[in-house]
Amino acid sequence: MELARTLRDQFDWTLFVTVAAISLFGVVNLYSATSATRRPDLYIQQIYWLSLGAGMAVLVVAIDYRYYERYAWFAYGTGIVLLILVFLLGDSIRGSTRWIKIGGFSLQPSETMKVFLIIALAKYLHNDPKTDGRTLKDLVIPGLILAVPMGLILAQPDLGTALICAFIFGTIMVLTQLKIRSLVTLFTSFVISAPLTWTFLLKDYQKQRVTSFLARMNGDTTDLLDSGWHTHQSMVAIGSGGFWGKGFLQGTQNQHRFLPDQDTDFPFPVWCEEQGFIGALLIVGLYMFLVVWALKIASQARDRFGAVCAVGVGGLIFWQAAINLLMVMGWMPVVGMTLPLFSYGGSSVLTTALGIGILMNVSMRRFQY
Amino acid sequence: MVMLSRSREVGEFRKRYKWMALVVVVIFMIVITRLIQLQLIDHDRWARIAQENITKTIGLPATRGVIRDSRGRTIATNRPSYNVYVTPQQLKDDEEEGDDIELISSLMDLNAQERASFERRLARVPARRRNHQIRMFTDVTRDQVAALSTYSNDLPAVDVIGSPVRTYSYGRLAAHAIGYMNEVSAEDLERHPDQGYRAGDRIGRMGLEKAWESYLRGRRGYRRVTVDARGRRQNDPQNPEQYREPIPGRDLVLTLDMELMRTIERAFGGHPGGSAVVVDVRTGRIRALFSKPTYDLNEMSGRLTNTQYRGLRDNPFRPLIDKTVYESYFPGSTFKPITALAALNESLIDPARQFECIGYLQIGRRQRLRCTAAHGDVDMRSSIVQSCNIYFWKIAEMIGLEGINQYAREMGLAERTGIGINTEARGFLASRSWYEEHFGRFRLGYTLNTAIGQGNTRTTLIQLAMMYGAMANGGTLYAPQIVEAIQDPNGAEIESFDPQIRRRLDIEPQHLAYVVDGMRGVVNEQNGTAYGARIEHGIDISGKTGTAEIARGSVRRSLDPTQRWYFMRSHAWFAGFAPSDDPELAIVVLIEHGGAGGKMAAPIGIRVLQEYLGGRTATASTNAPTRGSR
Repeated sequence: MELARTLRDQFDWTLFVTVAAISLFGVVNLYSATSATRRPDLYIQQIYWLSLGAGMAVLVVAIDYRYYERYAWFAYGTGIVLLILVFLLGDSIRGSTRWIKIGGFSLQPSETMKVFLIIALAKYLHNDPKTDGRTLKDLVIPGLILAVPMGLILAQPDLGTALICAFIFGTIMVLTQLKIRSLVTLFTSFVISAPLTWTFLLKDYQKQRVTSFLARMNGDTTDLLDSGWHTHQSMVAIGSGGFWGKGFLQGTQNQHRFLPDQDTDFPFPVWCEEQGFIGALLIVGLYMFLVVWALKIASQARDRFGAVCAVGVGGLIFWQAAINLLMVMGWMPVVGMTLPLFSYGGSSVLTTALGIGILMNVSMRRFQY
Repeated sequence: MVMLSRSREVGEFRKRYKWMALVVVVIFMIVITRLIQLQLIDHDRWARIAQENITKTIGLPATRGVIRDSRGRTIATNRPSYNVYVTPQQLKDDEEEGDDIELISSLMDLNAQERASFERRLARVPARRRNHQIRMFTDVTRDQVAALSTYSNDLPAVDVIGSPVRTYSYGRLAAHAIGYMNEVSAEDLERHPDQGYRAGDRIGRMGLEKAWESYLRGRRGYRRVTVDARGRRQNDPQNPEQYREPIPGRDLVLTLDMELMRTIERAFGGHPGGSAVVVDVRTGRIRALFSKPTYDLNEMSGRLTNTQYRGLRDNPFRPLIDKTVYESYFPGSTFKPITALAALNESLIDPARQFECIGYLQIGRRQRLRCTAAHGDVDMRSSIVQSCNIYFWKIAEMIGLEGINQYAREMGLAERTGIGINTEARGFLASRSWYEEHFGRFRLGYTLNTAIGQGNTRTTLIQLAMMYGAMANGGTLYAPQIVEAIQDPNGAEIESFDPQIRRRLDIEPQHLAYVVDGMRGVVNEQNGTAYGARIEHGIDISGKTGTAEIARGSVRRSLDPTQRWYFMRSHAWFAGFAPSDDPELAIVVLIEHGGAGGKMAAPIGIRVLQEYLGGRTATASTNAPTRGSR
C-alpha cells in the first residue's frame, strides 16, 4: 500500500511519457525499416526487449538507489569480468568481438558496462566529497576506473562505446569542481594522444571513415563507394524526406535498401525520410527534453551519488543521441553508435532501461531523507 | 509538496547544471540546424539524388538510317554488335557475395593488361555518374556475350546491350562522299548539349554521315526501371516503369550510282591521285564523286591505329582530302569555253575571224608566251578544238580580266555550289586589285594567263562539273544534288528533293551552242586534243581537255627530293558530256600530276561515259595519234 502510494505520488510521469514515446516511435520506425529486409518481424523482438527492459526498470526502481551505492564496486567488477569473458567466449562479427552468447541471447557487455561505470564513478565521488577544486592528482583513481573497461572495449574493438565511456567520464568530471589548470592539462594530453591513437589504436577501416569524413566536409564526393557511401545514402534519405516526409513505408531509400544498418545505427534516416522534418523535430525534441529532464533530476537529487548517477545517465543518452544524429547527417565520422531506445538491439535497450530505471529511482526518492 | 533543503555537497553542483543544460540545448540546436539544411534548404537536391538512386535507365540505341544509291544498292548499313556496360555503384566486392571485377574479368577472359585498364577506367568514373551505365567494352565477341549472360543474375552491375555497328558495303568506294563515323568528343558534347549525345555515342564525321547526321541518327529510346541498392529490379507502384521506344533514323537515297563509281575506279587504273565528278546535266543530280587515293570506311569507323592514321596523313597523295569538293585547282584549258563565251556574248568578236598562230606570242621585247604548236590560221571553233592559246590570248586582250572573271562567276566559279558536304571550297578568281596587291602592279600577262585557265584562278571539280552541265543543257546552272529522297525504315518516302536551279545563265543560246559544237570537235575531229582518246562507233562525246601547270611554290617542301619531280608535273584535265546530241551526263576528270590532259585524262573520261551510257560493246581506238593537248 505504502509503495503504491509512493508510486502514485512520486512517480515521474514526465520521464515515463518521454521515454515511452521515444520507444514507441522507435518500434513504429523499426517496422518500416525492416519491412523490406529478411527480418521483417524484428519489431516484435524489439517489443520483447522493451517489455523486458520495462520489467527490469521496475525492479531497479523498487529498490532505493542507496543500496546500489553499497554494491557499486560489485557491479563494476561484474562488468569487467564480462568484458574479459568476451575475449574468451565471444563471437566475432564483422571483425570485432563484442558479444557473448547466453542461451538464445547475445549479450554485449560493453553496453552494460556504461551503466556500471556510471555507478562506480558515482560511488567514488560520493565517498570523496572534495569541496575545493580537484587537481590532476585527484583524477588518478577515477581515471583508472575509466581506463580499465575502456581499454578492454577498445581492444574488441568497439570505438563508439569506448568513446561514450570517455564522454560520460568527462561529463561527470566536469560536474565536480575541476581546476581550470587540470582541464587544460587534460585537453592538452588528449590533443597529444590523438596522433598516437591514430597510429596505434585505430584500424584501417576506422581511419578510412575519418579521412572520408574529412574529405566530405571539404566537399569532395569522389569516394562514395566506400565508407562515405553509408553517410551519403543516409543524407539522401534525410534530405529527400523534406518537410512532411514520404509517408510511412514509402521511403525509397529505406524500402529499396540504400540505407546501411537501418535497424541499429541508421534508424533515424528512415524516420526522417518517411516522417519528414516535422517527425525529425519531434524525435530530436524528445531527446533534448529527456536529457534536460535528467539534469533537472540530478539537480534535485537527495545526495551526491544520486546526482552523479542522474548526470551520468543523462550524459549517456545525450552523447549517444548527439553523436548518432550528427553521424547520420554527415557531421561526424561513422562510428558504431545506437540511438538509445530508438535503435533495435537487446543490450542497447536493456542498458538504457537500466539507466532510465536509475534516473526514475533518483527522481522518485528526492524527497526522502 | 514541500521542497526540503538538500545536502550541501549536492548544492555545490547546482550552477554547473545550468551550463550543462545550455551545452545540451546548443548541441541539439546544431542537430536541428543540420536537419533544416538537409530537409528544407537542400531538399530538392537530395530528392533528386534519391530518385536517381532507384532509377536505372537502360538505353535502347536507335538504328541508324541506311544509305542507298540511286539504284537501291546498300552503301551503309548496320550489323549487330554487343557492348558491355557497367554500373560502378552496383559492383560488389565482399566476402559474402564475391568480387564482381574478378568475375567479369574471368568471364570475359581478360588478360592482365586488359583487366588493369578496365579497373583504371572504373576508378576514373566520377561519383555523380557511378550509378549510370558506363560503357566498358565495345563490340565484344559472341563467347564473351554468352559467358556474361549466363551469370547475368549474379552481376546486376553488368548489362550487355546490343548496338548496331555501321558497315559500309563498298569499303573504299566514294568514301569521302559517304563519310564515316567515330566517337563523340568532349567538344561535340559541349557544342550540342541538348541533342542527347552521350559519351561513347558515335557521330558522323565526314561526308553524308556528318551532313545528314540529324536525319540518319534517329532517337534513342530507354527503359527506366526501379532498382534497389544492389541494382535488382523492383516493382514499385510509386515509380512505374517508363519506356520510350527508339526511333530509327531515316534512310537516305542518294543520287550516286555505285556501279558508275566502280567504272570510274577501274578507268583510273594505276593513276595514284586524282578525282572525278559525274553529274546528270538535266537535273544537277550527282552520279559520282570520286576522289583518289581513298580509305576504307570500315577501318575509319572502327579503331584506326596511330600508325594507320599517320600513314594516311603523311601520304603525299593526300587520301584524307576530298578532292572533288574540298580542294581547288587551276582549271587549265577547261577554262577556255568561258573566255570564248565572254567574247561572244559581249559581241567583241566574230567567231569566224581568224588569227594566225605562229607557236608563240611576243609581248614587248623580252617575253615570249608559247603555244602548244604552231596552229596556223585559227578561228574560235578550231581554237577550242585544238586548244590554241594564241587565239585566246588575242581575245583576252579585248575582253579584259574583269570581263573574263565576270563570266567565270556567271558560270558558277568562285562560288560554293552548295553540295553540302565536306566543307566545300569556294575556289578563286583573281581580280585586278588582287594582282596589284600581290605583285606590285598589274600586267597584261595576268589577263592572258587567266584566259587559258592558268593565272590564279582556282576551281573545284564540282564547280567545273556543274558548269559543263550548264553548257550541255543549254544554259541552266543547277545546284548539285546528292540526296534524292529520305525514306522511313519501311522504304516509304518521307521527302524527295526536286532538282534545284541556281540560275539560267545570262548567255545567248546560240553562243553556247557554238562553243558546245567546238567541244564536240575536240573529241571527234582529227586535230582535236581528245581525238586520240575517242572510242570509235561509240557514244558521241563532247569535251575539253586541260593541262594545268603547277605553281612551284605549291609543292610540299617536306617531300622526298627524289619524288619532287613527280609532284612538279602538270595536272591532266578532261571535262565533257555525252551524248553530244542530247546530253545526259557531264564528267570532269582530274589526274593529279598526270601530265597532258588529252593523253591522260580524256581517255578516262571518255571511257567512263562510254561504258556507262553505251555499254561496253564498242572498242577503244588506241592506235590513233595523239596531239598536243593544251
